[in-house]
Amino acid sequence: MPLSIEGKDYEESMVIRMKSISLYVDNGTYLTRMHPFTKLFYILTAVLTAVISGNLWVYAIFVGISSLALVSAGLFKKAVPLVVFSFTVLIVIFLIQGLFYYRNETPLLELGAVVFYREGVLYAVRIGLNILNMLFSFAIFVLSTKPQDLVEALERKGFSPRFGYVITSVFQIIPQMMGTMSTITDAQRSRGMETEGGLLVRARAFIPLISPVVMNSLTNTRERAIALEVRGFDSKERKTYLSEWKKQKSDTLLNIVFLIIIVGAIIWKIADVWIL
Amino acid sequence: MENSGRMDSVAAGNALIEVENLKYRYPHTQSLALKGVSFCVNQGEFIGIAGANKAGKSTLTQALAGLVPQFYKGAYGGRVVVDGREADKTPICEICKSVGLVFQNPFNQLSGAKDSVYEEIAFGLQNMGIAPEEMRRRIDEAMALLDISQYRGKNPFDLSGGQMQRVAIASILVMEPKILVLDEPTSQLDPAGTEEVFKAVLRLAKAGKTILMVEQKIEKLAEYCNRILLMADGAVVDFDTPERIFSRADLEKTGVQPPVYTRLAKAQGWHIDGKPELYPVRLAQMQPFREPLAALVRQLADAAAVEGADTPETERQTVFEIKALTFSYDEGADARRVIDGLNLCLDGRATAIIGQNGAGKTTLVKLLKGLLKPAGGSIYYNGTDISGRTVASLAGEVGYVFQSPDDQIFKSRVLDEVMFGPLNIGMDKAAAKERSLAALRMVGLEDAAEKNPYDLELAERKMVAVASVLSMDTRVIIFDEPTIAQDYAGRETMKRIIRELSGQGRLVIAILHDMDFVAECFTRVIVMAHGSVLADGTPKEVFDREQILEEARIERPYAAAMCNALGIEGYVRLDI
Repeated sequence: MPLSIEGKDYEESMVIRMKSISLYVDNGTYLTRMHPFTKLFYILTAVLTAVISGNLWVYAIFVGISSLALVSAGLFKKAVPLVVFSFTVLIVIFLIQGLFYYRNETPLLELGAVVFYREGVLYAVRIGLNILNMLFSFAIFVLSTKPQDLVEALERKGFSPRFGYVITSVFQIIPQMMGTMSTITDAQRSRGMETEGGLLVRARAFIPLISPVVMNSLTNTRERAIALEVRGFDSKERKTYLSEWKKQKSDTLLNIVFLIIIVGAIIWKIADVWIL
Repeated sequence: MENSGRMDSVAAGNALIEVENLKYRYPHTQSLALKGVSFCVNQGEFIGIAGANKAGKSTLTQALAGLVPQFYKGAYGGRVVVDGREADKTPICEICKSVGLVFQNPFNQLSGAKDSVYEEIAFGLQNMGIAPEEMRRRIDEAMALLDISQYRGKNPFDLSGGQMQRVAIASILVMEPKILVLDEPTSQLDPAGTEEVFKAVLRLAKAGKTILMVEQKIEKLAEYCNRILLMADGAVVDFDTPERIFSRADLEKTGVQPPVYTRLAKAQGWHIDGKPELYPVRLAQMQPFREPLAALVRQLADAAAVEGADTPETERQTVFEIKALTFSYDEGADARRVIDGLNLCLDGRATAIIGQNGAGKTTLVKLLKGLLKPAGGSIYYNGTDISGRTVASLAGEVGYVFQSPDDQIFKSRVLDEVMFGPLNIGMDKAAAKERSLAALRMVGLEDAAEKNPYDLELAERKMVAVASVLSMDTRVIIFDEPTIAQDYAGRETMKRIIRELSGQGRLVIAILHDMDFVAECFTRVIVMAHGSVLADGTPKEVFDREQILEEARIERPYAAAMCNALGIEGYVRLDI
């Protein structure tokens, strides 16, 4: 809870996992303390610099930096499922491009009648690294940023608090709704509705769930709207926050570094084109 | 304060709340929800609002906070002045600085956007633009007052109902309103949660906060309030001291049952010294009647002994046999067992299961119903193991009424909703209809058969849910908290239903937090704690065992608590 609570309670909040659909891991490392905007800026830097330079090594370097950041913040394990998922896509790309890329000329590997071409494989490597680069830099952001912190940071920049509320509440309320759903299923099963069986049985069992789920969420929404009203949600006052986000020195420093990298990449690219 | 707070003595100019001929009609309805309500409240008073369901109590609380008419729209007349401002014209975000509103459902009062208690409480202050240091000061103070400091870093959704409700009160309190309006703040809580909330409210009252509280737990109102606003049918019947209100001869006509002490005193003609028209309403006021009460208890106990409490043969037949039952919601070796090696035999006697939240009551009945499958041990129904059967196949044998009717109602006609179960278990249409109409008659909703369930009040929807299980004609009927949201009349209907079902030789099992209801309706009481049975016996046997009650954190029924407090031996059911 980097925003408001320090010391002992902070440790307690680490133990109690928040009920949420967000992927945020509250492990208290330097990445969770970093300003959300800094992490967003890193995504921009990683993706933009690599694309501008077009150099495969630049992609690889950023993938490396991102992996190091994830490892150092103890988040790499959480990012593995993302990588595994993307690998299935990457393998398909390798096969298709390696075999059928339209510029394929130079054979690289021959397995009987199947020939992999150098051009296709290189092209696939480029796509693959691009995907990995985006995935990793995005993973840093998603895994180490509490949605509420991001929204708050945005609100301070003039983002509408109403819209901000909608975003943060979704993360809390959807898991609650799923809980209601299972109670409702139980209530209907209790009255002899068969829910276990073939597709038709389950499809038929779905209908009696819809209206209680909808009605429940409508009533809840209405009540919650009242609860928000009586807590001054409509107030015209300028909203205040529990603690100032102290933009740390490291945030400023990193932002400058990122800016230099992007500008550097642009200059390099321009120089490259000019020289040629 | 006693007896001095007559309405006429309130000088109407300097009252904190002035309500003058308030009339209100919700949009798309025909009749008025409030029909010319007038009253005044002074600074520092603790006002109780009593009345049957639909009396207009909640509407009135919403009007004080400006939600009626600003949020609900509709037709509005008269004047509500709160802290010098007109409630219908001042924006809600301004009124909320004077009037704090806490309502029934603790869950829906959480903003849903904050993931720690501390930040949740800060939500209103952020909206009001309070400076961070001031916010911290107020939050710390409110958390201390409500005894929730230890949860500050927790996710509010992980708290129990009582804790959540105290967070809700704290969230309102930090905004420092002069008036706190509580609309049945404990109706959805267990006894411990209820006690926590009442204690907190009492502390606030002592600190000088002006409080208006709607409550069905009438003994609590009598205990705490300076004055009671008695409402019926959208109007104020009376506004006076608890003694005067609860001593009214026509009180039950308004759908309010007086406190147990008053009922007893009225029946026995024990009036407050020197005031023949007033009866005691609080436990302390019963002290002078200790001797006659002791005599009465002895006499009733003797009568009960003569009558003999032999259970009829039919009630002795075993229905469920539970052997070494274990269950846990998580898997793995270190999973916490919610049910832990339970052995129990359930026969035909009407059985109440009591205990704190988390004791395993609901888990147990869900296992009986087949909604959950045992992790170890077995459950026999009529001698056969039920672990292999689907829930739907057991539906014709075991009925289960869920706590919230809104978790099941999905048809647009009450009769169709009630017929859903019988048709599912293979009854033909004519029989299902006949059974359903009989069930609706039993719950007192025969006139509502053609209505849309969602046009009914919550208490009535609950009765629809009850009917929809009764219509299935099952041998076993399980109720989960049947008295929640029911007023006096609803409770009486529930009592009648339970007695009738039991009389037909069906096994009634109910999870209950309402101990008076338990004492009045059930012949067998099972006390659960930490997933096992702590005590099992007749209400008398169970409510006599102080140690057990303490361990399970259960309060005695008021009548029993009264005898105990006055040092009278033994427990007796006072059917008054």
